[in-house]
Amino acid sequence: DEIGLIPCPEARYNRSPIVLIENKLGVESWCVKFLLPYVHNKLLLYRQRKQWLNKDELIDITCTLLLLNPDFTTAWNVRKELILSGTLNPLKDLHLGKLALTKFPKSPETWIHRRWVLQQLIQENSLPSLATKGNLGAAPVERIHRLVQEEMNVCSEAAGRYPSNYNAWSHRIWVLQHLAKLTVKVLLDELSSTKYWVSMHVSDHSGFHYRQFLLNSLIHRTVTDNNILVQNQMVNEQNPSLQKEEESAGTEAVCAEEQSVDLPRRLDEEMELCSELIDNYPGHETLWCHSDESLNNSHHSPAISHMAQAMDVDGLNESSSKQGYIQETKRLKRAPVQDSLGPEMEYRFVDKVLSTCRDVDQARFATAYRKWLVTFLGQ
Amino acid sequence: MHVGGEVDVRSAYCAASVASLTNIMTPTLFAGTAEWIARCQNWEGGIGGVPGMEAHGGYTFCGVAALVILKQEHLLNLRSLLRWVTGRQMRFEGGFQGRCNKLVDGCYSFWQAGLLPLLHRALHARGDPALSMAHWMFDQLALQEYILLCCQCPAGGLLDKPGKSRDFYHTCYCLSGLAIAQHFGSGDLHNEVVLGIPENCLQATHPVYNIAPEKVARAVMHFLQYPVPSLDPA
Repeated sequence: DEIGLIPCPEARYNRSPIVLIENKLGVESWCVKFLLPYVHNKLLLYRQRKQWLNKDELIDITCTLLLLNPDFTTAWNVRKELILSGTLNPLKDLHLGKLALTKFPKSPETWIHRRWVLQQLIQENSLPSLATKGNLGAAPVERIHRLVQEEMNVCSEAAGRYPSNYNAWSHRIWVLQHLAKLTVKVLLDELSSTKYWVSMHVSDHSGFHYRQFLLNSLIHRTVTDNNILVQNQMVNEQNPSLQKEEESAGTEAVCAEEQSVDLPRRLDEEMELCSELIDNYPGHETLWCHSDESLNNSHHSPAISHMAQAMDVDGLNESSSKQGYIQETKRLKRAPVQDSLGPEMEYRFVDKVLSTCRDVDQARFATAYRKWLVTFLGQ
Repeated sequence: MHVGGEVDVRSAYCAASVASLTNIMTPTLFAGTAEWIARCQNWEGGIGGVPGMEAHGGYTFCGVAALVILKQEHLLNLRSLLRWVTGRQMRFEGGFQGRCNKLVDGCYSFWQAGLLPLLHRALHARGDPALSMAHWMFDQLALQEYILLCCQCPAGGLLDKPGKSRDFYHTCYCLSGLAIAQHFGSGDLHNEVVLGIPENCLQATHPVYNIAPEKVARAVMHFLQYPVPSLDPA
């Protein structure tokens, strides 16, 4: 489940350089300068059609190559061909990639190949396929769910191995967008499962950006669902006889369930998390940035600013957007008056930090934050 | 980036750069591209690799430069972009970081600092009265200090930060960043700001293509002689 290089400049004993202990694979460093050119050369000769390699040899050679240098695109591409021809099980590549990432957590080519493999698996899943390579056990939905969970694990591990691991967090976002389809459940699950992680990595800007992505997706989701709700209502009012009862009832049920997301509370919780971390770990710019943005989201009715941006740039269907806009503001206005409390609390928090902190950077961030509060919130 | 490869904002820049220099731009080639790039701008103000991703210096340069080529910079929120990029110059080191809370790196001397000439031009086109006529909106001298004092390898070549080894990529982008920091504007409005002896002054670089401005002019003139290729079979 893990690979690594053992620093060992000379082969002192006449024995294999491979070390396997408790499911962890080690390779003594002296052998790499012989091994890598050898396998690299073999693969290139194959590609140049100067020397034939059969499928098993190809699988072995590319596997060795990629564990030594996972950014070797050609090797991944050979494996793509093997997958497409049905000789290689795509799940093997997910495992190989996972192993490579234990030593090379950023490796761009590994993440890119991973997305290609996952795309293949999704396509396979959407076909009414039967027994395919024996990797089918559960129903398609269950399969996808397991794939998503595994990807979340792989990303989390890689993120822990390299600070602010852009590629790992980008992949995580991609998986949510393309495999998990950004359902409310998965967004909320991810918010709770990453809460501990970001508290342990307070300078990891990518980790906090991920949380912004989750919150923004939740906001967007709520607005979209409200639009559907309102559109259905409009349709029903105009054409009572055309009521597709099941459909509208279903959508309304979904919307009702999802409206229980309680966005203002989530955003408040995020602010609380920020304040707590800022207090405990002075001087981390990431936390202040995150705080800025979370407050921005909870103060300016998120639906309004989001929809306004969307309307300007994308030229969306304006009438339905405006309806959603109204619905959302009504909903938020009915909620307890959080908006006016938010900034006030923030001022108190910032002033407290300024008067008690001794860290120079913390003081600077706090001062900047206070200026921002005044300018952007106009209070 | 290549057939079967990843999709991100860099390829939009590569395509726009090549197509505009070689005069092969057709209306359909970049249909929707500008809007897609604009979607890559996020809440931080910078631009990520694809929509939804964290803002990152390299991707931001590619996005903005591509939009400048496509003449669609106005699709971005220039104000938040300006705020983000200026926040990336490091107070102590003088160089730039790639993303918030990360370390300084010599190559961002170009990717980040290079955004300021582009922004200057875009804001100027809007008639912004507050723009300087002599300086870019970053500390040009501080950046030059970082590059010249911290990013040179004694054996030649330039690097990321002290302690790292030299490579061609860092050599290229440290030098490009140095050129940006030394030259404001062009033609009548040219203002040189050179740290140290005059011999430190490099030739200016074109802020969109990062090659010498004369080369850009020559390439464009050359390819304008040829018609834009059509997709119809001959």
